[in-house]
Amino acid sequence: MESGIRVLLLTAGLAALSTLSGCATVRSWFHHRPASTDAANQPAPDESEQPSVIEPQVARRTVKVAKIRSSNIELGAEYGALSIEDFGTHPVYGFTAAYHITEDFFFQGEWGRATAGRTSYEVLSGNVALLTQAERRFTYYDLSLGYNFLPGEAFIGRGVAMTSAFYLLGGIGGTDFGGDTKFTVNFGAGYRVVPRDWLAVHVTVQDHIFQSDVIGITKLTNNLEARIGTTVFF
Amino acid sequence: MAHSISTTPLIPPHRSIERRAESRRRARQCALAGLLLLAALLAPAVSGAREYLQLFVTAPYLELHTGPGRGYPVFSVVPRDGSVDVLFRRTDWFKVRTERGVEGWASQGDMERTVLADGTPFRYPRGDLAGFTSHRFELGVFAGAWGGANYISGYWSVSFNPQLALEVAGGQFLGRYSNGYTGDIGFAHVILPESRWSPFLTIGGGEVHTEPKATLVQPADRTEPSAYVGGGVRFYLTRRFFLRAEFKAHWIFTSRNQNEEADEWKAGFAFFF
Repeated sequence: MESGIRVLLLTAGLAALSTLSGCATVRSWFHHRPASTDAANQPAPDESEQPSVIEPQVARRTVKVAKIRSSNIELGAEYGALSIEDFGTHPVYGFTAAYHITEDFFFQGEWGRATAGRTSYEVLSGNVALLTQAERRFTYYDLSLGYNFLPGEAFIGRGVAMTSAFYLLGGIGGTDFGGDTKFTVNFGAGYRVVPRDWLAVHVTVQDHIFQSDVIGITKLTNNLEARIGTTVFF
Repeated sequence: MAHSISTTPLIPPHRSIERRAESRRRARQCALAGLLLLAALLAPAVSGAREYLQLFVTAPYLELHTGPGRGYPVFSVVPRDGSVDVLFRRTDWFKVRTERGVEGWASQGDMERTVLADGTPFRYPRGDLAGFTSHRFELGVFAGAWGGANYISGYWSVSFNPQLALEVAGGQFLGRYSNGYTGDIGFAHVILPESRWSPFLTIGGGEVHTEPKATLVQPADRTEPSAYVGGGVRFYLTRRFFLRAEFKAHWIFTSRNQNEEADEWKAGFAFFF
C-alpha cells in the first residue's frame, strides 16, 4: 500500500516534470520574455505613398513610476512573566516577527526564553533537584495566526489619536523544557497600539499547552504568559 | 511551612551562587532590551528621503480614513483632479499625503479610481482568484505527522510561472522516541493553477537531523540526506489566503545497511504575495 503510493507519485512527478507545460514555459521565467519579433513580419511601408506635408515632431514623455514601499512586516522584542506549571512564575524575554496579510489576519512567529525555578517539592525537601540548571531553561517557539477582532482608536487628551486593535492568537510550536522538546499548542489575545506608522506597542497574554512528564506523571500543562513588547514595522 | 523555613540555612552557598547568576542574567536581559529599543528608535531615521508615486483622483472624491481598515472613520476627502503622494502600503491600504499635507489611509478599491501622471489607470496586484493563479511568493505554516511523530512545518516558495515553483521547507518533528529537524528544497508543479481547487506534485531533496531520546540503544544524533516525492492540493479561501494539504514520501539515505522511509502528512494555511 505504502510503496504503491510512492510508485504512483514518483511516476506522476516524473511525467509532470518532463511533459507538462511548466518546463515548456522556462523561457518566460521572471517574465524575461524576448522582445516581440512582430516588427519583422509587418509589411514594408508603401513607397508610393505621398510624403506628408508636416512631419509631426512628437517627443514621447516617459513617466517614471516610483515604487510603493510595503510595510507589512513587524519585528520586535518582548518582556514579561511566564508561569511554568509546578515551577513558579519567572521573567521571560523573547522576540516576535509578524507578517500582516490583510487588515484582519496576520501570521506571527515568536521565540521566548525563561528559567524555571524550583517546585514546592524541591523547596520542602531541601537539596533535592529534579532538573539540572540547563534543563530548567524553558525555551519555546510558536507559529500563530492572528486575527484583529476589535480594531479601534486610542486617544490621549484632545490632540493624540492612535490606531489600536485587540487580536486573537492561535497556533502551534515547540517547547524545550526538562531535557525534552514537546509539541505545543498556543492561544491567547493581545492589544496593539500604533503610536507611529512604524512603531507599535503590544500587551499579550498567551497560554502554551503541552504534555509534560517532568515531575514523574504525564499531564497536560498550561503555561500562561503575560508580556509587553515593542515592535517596528518594516 | 515551618519545615521549609528550617531548611533555608542549610544551603547558603547554593543560594548566593543562584542569586549572582540571576542578577547577571537580569543585567544581560536589560542590556538586550535597551539595544533593541535603540535600534527601533533609529530605524526610521536612516530610511532617508525618497520619491513617492503621485496619483490623480478621477472619481468624484477619494476618501481618507484615519487607519488602515474599513472600520476607521473617513476624516477627509480629496476632490476630483486633486493629487496624492503614496507614502507606503500596509496590507490592502495605502497611506497617502494630499497637496495640503493631510495624511490618511485610502483603500485599494478607491485607489483603483486614480490615474498616473500620464493618464494611465493605477493598478496594483489584488488578493483574489487571479492573484491565486499567478503570483510570485507563497508562505505557509502546517501541522501534521512526520514518520508518526508530531510535525510543525513552514514553507516559502517562489513561482517562475503559474505552474512551476521552487519551494524551501523546514520543519521540526517531535516524537516519542526521537525529535529532529527537516529541511527540504524542491520543485512544485501546479496542475490546474486557475482552478479554486488546484492539485500539485512535488519532487526534491533535503536533510533530516534526528536526535534519538536517551533511552534508546543508539543515542547519537545524526544528519542524513533525503529525497522526496509527493503531491497535494491547494484550495483558495479568500483574499490572499489558501489552504494547502500535502503528502511527501521521504527516502532517508543512511550510513547503515538499509535506507529509511518516512511519510509526511500535513495541512495548513498559506498566503501569496
